[in-house]
Amino acid sequence: MIRLDNVTKSYKGDTVALRDASVNIEKGEFVFLVGASGSGKSTFLRLLNREEVPTDGQIFVAGKDIGQLSTWKVPFLRRNIGSIFQDFKLLSNKNVAENVAFALEAIGRPRAVVQTQVPAILELVGLSSKAGNFPHELSGGEQQRVSIARAFVNRPLILLADEPTGNLDPATSVGIMRLLERINKTGTTVLMATHDRGIVDTMRRRVIELDRGSIIRDQARGVYE
Amino acid sequence: MAIKLDYIARETGSNLFRNFTITLASIMTVAVSLSLVGSALMVRQGVDRATKRWQGGVEFIVFMNPTATQDQVDGVGGDLRKNALIDKVTFVDKNQAYAEFKDLFRDSPEMIDSVTPDILPTSYRVEPKDKTADSVTGLSDEYKAKPGVQQVVSATQTIRLVQNVSSFFNNVILAVAVALLGAAGLLILNTIRMAMYARRREIEVMKLVGATNWFIRLPFMAEGLVQGIIGVVVSIGILAAVRPIFQNALPPADQFPIFSDLVPASTEMLPIYLLMALLGMLVGAAGAGVAVTRFLDV
Repeated sequence: MIRLDNVTKSYKGDTVALRDASVNIEKGEFVFLVGASGSGKSTFLRLLNREEVPTDGQIFVAGKDIGQLSTWKVPFLRRNIGSIFQDFKLLSNKNVAENVAFALEAIGRPRAVVQTQVPAILELVGLSSKAGNFPHELSGGEQQRVSIARAFVNRPLILLADEPTGNLDPATSVGIMRLLERINKTGTTVLMATHDRGIVDTMRRRVIELDRGSIIRDQARGVYE
Repeated sequence: MAIKLDYIARETGSNLFRNFTITLASIMTVAVSLSLVGSALMVRQGVDRATKRWQGGVEFIVFMNPTATQDQVDGVGGDLRKNALIDKVTFVDKNQAYAEFKDLFRDSPEMIDSVTPDILPTSYRVEPKDKTADSVTGLSDEYKAKPGVQQVVSATQTIRLVQNVSSFFNNVILAVAVALLGAAGLLILNTIRMAMYARRREIEVMKLVGATNWFIRLPFMAEGLVQGIIGVVVSIGILAAVRPIFQNALPPADQFPIFSDLVPASTEMLPIYLLMALLGMLVGAAGAGVAVTRFLDV
């Protein structure tokens, strides 16, 4: 599903965010990316949906070399990749249902699809009763559920999560992780960058550890350190 | 596709109202500059019409008697062409004279009905080498006396003055209009840039979920175009309203025929309006185009 061959990403100056990274992730895997701030976790994720292009090496997503992808095809790559973030990135002027619907409207899905998919996904994340609420009326955990609903409503093959529990308390985080696990069980590959030792140690999934841009550990059923 | 058009219309509408004051400023600038372009063209058209016979350096016209014999007509023509002081001679036959007459009096069909080509005089339009008043008077006096000549009419100071003054003001107005159109384009560009800034979160999410570049761009481009089009409509309204007022302010035809012709007929306004519409949409599209390619990093 995802393969990195000797990928290096350096930014202007001498900053090397990722150094000679090679990884293979199968369909349906659940992978934690761990490491200190600035170790390259976010760059790793941003390379996968072509928000960044590698300086060197090749990246394959669903069998396609995305470095070779022409610009106009990038949106179609991103339709197969859902993304969630620490700060949720919800639109404050739209309510819960509209935030989720926006993701479908933006890719030109017909109204009928929007009308059936949005309630179904809100049901899945347990927010059916809050469809008409605005983001500022929700708790952090609920907001993250909305953003997961938005990322998953298009049934992507891959879900990228950049510290999704970074702003949440441990109890709420557990709920979010259950939701991500459920999504993973539908066959979606989940890649999650995190600092949350508790979560990584409880779930015992594959762990990739980065240190100053290099992969220093890749362990099945691993722990935080 | 249906949802897309509907979406573009909705987004464009809300963008236009979000920055209402600056949108208004760009629409007004488009409207004012296009009105200036329009009135400059209108006056130019009017001057051209009123002074048609005197264009291209023609300084005097030798009208032949309608009853003059062919020999007399040819004699005067040959004489004019042989004259070393004369640069260029153009012969206008009865049919050409009739065509011009019809054009000049298009607003008074009764005049046209009362005239047929054969009662109109043929004429020679003459461009002398030396265009000073003395030389022109000398030459026209010389031809007045020739057999078959009905009269010799020379370009008066007034006609030259009207041509010169109007073309000077026309150029000034056009220069101002071009500067204003440039300002209008920049204003539209900035309005759209602000609209994009206001929606940067939405744009970010759209990129993230895989909206195509055109899907993101179109509402903003439509916004620029709509501003241009509203400006066009307003400016055409202004011009249509001003034209009759201008016409009434001119002296009546029986006193100064040259001035009463300065306003073009309403049918002649159509190409002017079309040109204005084209310019307005061009400015809107250019402003929007630059904004989306420069500031929308998609």
